[in-house]
Amino acid sequence: MKKVRDLITRDLTSVTEDTPLKDVAELLSLRGINGIPVVNKNNEVTGWISERDLISSIFPEKVKIENPDVIGFMNLSQVVKKLTQVGQAMVKDYMSKTANAVKEDTPASDVAELMLQKDLKRVPVVRDKKLVGVVERASLARILLEEGSFE
Amino acid sequence: MIVTVTLNPAFDHILFLPEIHLGSFSRAQSTTRMPGGKGINVACSLAVLGEEVVATGLLGGQGCPTFERALRNLGVTTSFIYVNQEIRTDFFIIEEKSNRQSLMVEEGTPIELRYLNSFKDNFERLLTSARLVEIGGSLPKGVSPNFIKELVLAANKKKVKVVLNLPENYLEECMPGTALFMVAPDLRENKSMYGLDIYDAGARIKISRKLLDLGVEIVILKYGNLNYLVATREETWDGEIDLEDKSIMIGVRDAVLAGFIHKYLEKLNLGEALKYGLGAGRSAARNRMNYPNSKKEAEEFLMMAKVRKVG
Repeated sequence: MKKVRDLITRDLTSVTEDTPLKDVAELLSLRGINGIPVVNKNNEVTGWISERDLISSIFPEKVKIENPDVIGFMNLSQVVKKLTQVGQAMVKDYMSKTANAVKEDTPASDVAELMLQKDLKRVPVVRDKKLVGVVERASLARILLEEGSFE
Repeated sequence: MIVTVTLNPAFDHILFLPEIHLGSFSRAQSTTRMPGGKGINVACSLAVLGEEVVATGLLGGQGCPTFERALRNLGVTTSFIYVNQEIRTDFFIIEEKSNRQSLMVEEGTPIELRYLNSFKDNFERLLTSARLVEIGGSLPKGVSPNFIKELVLAANKKKVKVVLNLPENYLEECMPGTALFMVAPDLRENKSMYGLDIYDAGARIKISRKLLDLGVEIVILKYGNLNYLVATREETWDGEIDLEDKSIMIGVRDAVLAGFIHKYLEKLNLGEALKYGLGAGRSAARNRMNYPNSKKEAEEFLMMAKVRKVG
């Protein structure tokens, strides 16, 4: 049975809770990824921050990003004010504390189920709570296409 | 886990052509492209030899996903800070008729302070799992060797062993007041250190003694193609291994260092570690990439290494 260690991307790119949101936005853009693990000073995973968290940090909580038309309700001064606030905000203000982390010996089928159920594109992989990589949905898909199953 | 640091990584291009026509047109018959920079080379070699290794440094530009993927395919874990600038491109030109090998390197672009701060924070987090840190290569424009000294001091604080694989002028600034496990001076440009000729046997001993007197535990000095002197306060070893005619020297010195580190951490034996390093170097010299072909080949070649205790 395929395990996470068979499809892990051994990349430790991460941010901390004190990273400014604008730096996260730049990092996600430079890397072309949609979310990234949040770690503490011991490299232990404490959460996750995604593009979605960044966008919802700019728009009022009641605005659903699935419906971008409602952005029109905000006038320019509201947007500028919000952007200034977000510019000073840190990861800890908007991160998700549920990282959905998996271990290297987690069966690939369990990760696939987790990603599908929660609509996740990337999940962190930990060993003794420390970040050792990520699983990407594309890697799962590749294995399925190559081998037909996780067995 | 071992962490390697490359603050000024490069895309290495090896161009193979019969001969180069300076001032005229030359076409490479084949090209190899790969991630490069001293720390990167050491990371690749360590991964081939079976070590768990994390490569960190500063990376930027459109080719970065390819750069990182190539490292991860070898088994290297990546942990780079992304910057909004392009990394260097280095060219290694091999003229196959004469086997003349020329290296042209870029200097690298200036790095904003905020990226250096992010790098340092990330480095300190990596130290929490590291048993050894290797820092190698040149520095981007505007970054002082004192920055490396800060990294060394951070590692010292966490009691993580440090290996410096740097030119003499960087070492001079980094060494005072730090605890160093190993120093491998990069003498490719000057062929001398402290004004002493590296090709003179007596001078090599003097250089190693000066470094040991500064508190370094192990000194590793390269002279010639694959000739080495390694020394501690207690003993000194000399070693060499013959190369094939068409050997490719890119990354060979870093492969020797990786092989030496790998075996020394396992056996704590200077002579055995030197042999192993030379085997790894010879295997890298047979490879078109900047690391050994395989662990198996490196271990076969170590039998050809001639090492002897000289002090």
